[in-house]
Amino acid sequence: MAAQDLPLFNYDDVQIGEELGSYEYELTQEMIDLYRKAVDDPDAVFPTIAVKHDATSLALAYDDQTGSINAGNEIDLYNQPVPGKKIRVTGRIHDKFVRREKPYLVIEATATDEDGRLIERMRTYQIKKPEELGKKWHPQG
Amino acid sequence: MASARLDSETLPVITKHITQDVINTFEACGILNRANIHNDPELASKRLGTTYAIASGRMSIAFCTEAMRKFIGAEDFHRSGNVNLKFLRPVKHGDTVSVHGQVNSRQPQDDGTTMVVVDVYCENQNGDKTAVGQASAVVSG
Repeated sequence: MAAQDLPLFNYDDVQIGEELGSYEYELTQEMIDLYRKAVDDPDAVFPTIAVKHDATSLALAYDDQTGSINAGNEIDLYNQPVPGKKIRVTGRIHDKFVRREKPYLVIEATATDEDGRLIERMRTYQIKKPEELGKKWHPQG
Repeated sequence: MASARLDSETLPVITKHITQDVINTFEACGILNRANIHNDPELASKRLGTTYAIASGRMSIAFCTEAMRKFIGAEDFHRSGNVNLKFLRPVKHGDTVSVHGQVNSRQPQDDGTTMVVVDVYCENQNGDKTAVGQASAVVSG
């Protein structure tokens, strides 16, 4: 689906518990090899970390012109993904809150494979006011 | 066979040199193939006010995952691992990031396993912490 077909993301409108829908993709050996190269770890087995399941869920549900900065991530691992299997991802809005005048959005995605094995659960704490952190890092700007 | 280093209190230190090429490779592992603040300096400038693209915080999750896998053992970590990080500073091209960790607790479970909780942090070449948090896994045997 093209971004222009998606509803525009509005922080005030999204609801805690809102389902972001599901999507599937095939995990290939090439994806694992590329991930291992990226993280310089020949034994890495969770390329799903770089697929960014939760952020992808949000991107497939909304046209987000705000952008965000990642304030934190939490991942739970359950089973090693198997190359050649399809990965099914389900996303949701886990929470949202304002802290120090910054709007936070917490998104979550759960991944299972085509055999129903639970693979991982990823949660991301996004700050939906990314320019504020840019100022903090570059106060001269 | 899974084997935690029950006699050790510290994680093996993992050190990674970050380049824009490495960041771009990590971003190429995704399934959306979109420009973002990690692979597009212009977009990073627009959204963050930075003069450079920043590495995804998930790269630090991946580095901590590697350190924990080496400490706990792949079998146990891949079925019960958790990494939870709060990001403090941007990581960018030219940085060297190292992962450090210290065992916080070892909690015996009713089934004879042990929950190992580790305080972890990432720091850059200047000694500044870029991320802090905890990681854990249930160790068998």
